[in-house]
Amino acid sequence: MKKKKIILSLIAIILFFSLLFILNSVFNSHQTRILRLCGIYVVLALSLNLINGFTGQFSLGTAGFMAIGAYTSAILTMPPAQKASAYYLEPIVPWLADIEMSFLPALIIAGLISALIGFIVAAPVLRLRDDYLAIATLGFSEIIRVVITNLQNITNGSLGLKGLPNYTNVWWSWGVAVVCIIFMALLINSSYGRALKAIREDEIAAEAMGINLFRNKLFAFTVSSFMAGVGGALLGHLMGTIDPLMFRFTLTYNILLIVVVGGIGSITGSVISGVIVTVAMEALRIVDGNIDLGFMVIKGIPGMRMVIFSILLMVIILFFRRGIMGTNEFSWKWILESKLFKKRKEVA
Amino acid sequence: MAILKTENITMKFGGITAVSDFTMELEKNKIIGLIGPNGAGKTTAFNVITGVYKPTSGHIFYNKENITGIKPHNITKLGIARTFQNIRLFKELSVLENVLIANHLRLKSNPFSAVVNTPNYVRQEKHMIEKSLALLEEVDLIDVKDEKSFSLPYGYQRRLEIARALATEPKVLLLDEPAAGMNPQESNQLMEFIIKIRDKFDLSIFMIEHHMQVVMGVCEKIYVLDHGITIAQGTPHEIQNNPRVIEAYLGVE
Ligand SMILES: Nc1ncnc2c1ncn2[C@@H]1O[C@H](COP(=O)(O)OP(=O)(O)O)[C@@H](O)[C@H]1O
Ligand SMILES: [Mg+2]
Repeated sequence: MKKKKIILSLIAIILFFSLLFILNSVFNSHQTRILRLCGIYVVLALSLNLINGFTGQFSLGTAGFMAIGAYTSAILTMPPAQKASAYYLEPIVPWLADIEMSFLPALIIAGLISALIGFIVAAPVLRLRDDYLAIATLGFSEIIRVVITNLQNITNGSLGLKGLPNYTNVWWSWGVAVVCIIFMALLINSSYGRALKAIREDEIAAEAMGINLFRNKLFAFTVSSFMAGVGGALLGHLMGTIDPLMFRFTLTYNILLIVVVGGIGSITGSVISGVIVTVAMEALRIVDGNIDLGFMVIKGIPGMRMVIFSILLMVIILFFRRGIMGTNEFSWKWILESKLFKKRKEVA
Repeated sequence: MAILKTENITMKFGGITAVSDFTMELEKNKIIGLIGPNGAGKTTAFNVITGVYKPTSGHIFYNKENITGIKPHNITKLGIARTFQNIRLFKELSVLENVLIANHLRLKSNPFSAVVNTPNYVRQEKHMIEKSLALLEEVDLIDVKDEKSFSLPYGYQRRLEIARALATEPKVLLLDEPAAGMNPQESNQLMEFIIKIRDKFDLSIFMIEHHMQVVMGVCEKIYVLDHGITIAQGTPHEIQNNPRVIEAYLGVE
């Protein structure tokens, strides 16, 4: 059974990348951009789901960690000449001025620095619970923005960074997403994943079963920060431009929406919903502009898209709290034991 | 020799003294009881022993080692497991997962070995599953191993909580009102079950029970708390005839 599952998974991955290859060649540039965004949002949703959905810790710091990742990778990959001209208010510190590396190491370092800061922040913050934790992580995320705005000689302050190398193609975006999906699936189904779920279900009971609450939460928070950092870096190299305003709370809010729609505590849900919500978010861009119905023109209201999404989130929380998947997961066992396959076996 | 011992533990919450000067001793392989009316401080005594609260004063010894102030997860690691008065299962998780989680503390690995499935991790995971299935077999829960734990009937949930505590490989088991909400017949079965696991797993058991009759049959020694104060201790026979106990109980019930 185990071997069979691995083979099936490998086939599915190959098929998926073939599909990506086809989509990538038939889509226009706007459509492939959305396709790339989907992969990034899957990574980000998994990051938030790990700490909120699986460990039950209500954290809202994702945008902050994304900012750390995006800036790290941007600074590490931008050519020295470009940095020299971009930092015109105050030159970049010498030890960063001449660094230029390729995308993979930059991406990994972006994740590691984000994880390191997550690790440091976690120690005081994770002693809080529920709403207090949410407020503290949200506050942290805003502090990161303020720090970035003020570290003129490292981040170029509020000017932001423009012309980041356009590395995030479909393969990077979805390659990272697939690695994260596999990592999460393996983690969550391991004894360590069960320990996280136990903490989510009942902290007092988990502790009584010998589970070190602090260490496990710290681990989940650090891994989640790593993934958010990598997701942020991917996003930066897709947008081509980053600035502190990009990493406001609304960004975390979008990711939270994806997690809730997909199902809090479901990897499958985060993946499905990451794609659906990202596509819908782009499709709904039309409501921000004027809509021409032929006989009349509805004047667009910028920001209308977010209003619609906020209402959607409220409706889901009120009426479909379990989202698309609840805490359920896709599994090969479930497919193989479904009616479709059973019938075939009987025939054979 | 006493495997578990408390010396004058006192637990105050603000102005309330929930437990006052509680001294007890649990001999190896014995079953002893803690009784008293509601609010007497029984659960608080358990919470202090298991590290949920650090006592305001007093000490707790486990195999002569002073364990006062040690964190709950480390107490469990040392070999003291417990159940809860208001069942605290991992509700959304299956019966098997509930028991597997209680095996986690004995795992010698790290998350990254688990993710990449190193042979060492795979071997331990396999061992955990076998052990958990055997335990579920032992306590007659094997047929419901894949059910979510909240969906089980009440009596099964109680039994699963005990099984989960056993999975941590304890030497001492603390049971907080295991027979709560059971009828006399169910309580009797439960007491037989408790004696059975004591023998099978070489346990020493400290049990809270609200109903005197239930503990009389299994406990060799009983402590009686009332308003946090130990008003009596002794054999069931002595307790039954103790005027202060009768007064405390008749005054309430
Ligand atoms: N965490 C706490 N904070 C304040 N008071 C508490 C706390 N835990 C227990 N108490 C109080 O201690 C007393 C004993 O409670 P408890 O130990 O639960 O009694 P029992 O288990 O014997 O019914 C009660 O008055 C209860 O309100
Ligand atoms: Mg109680």
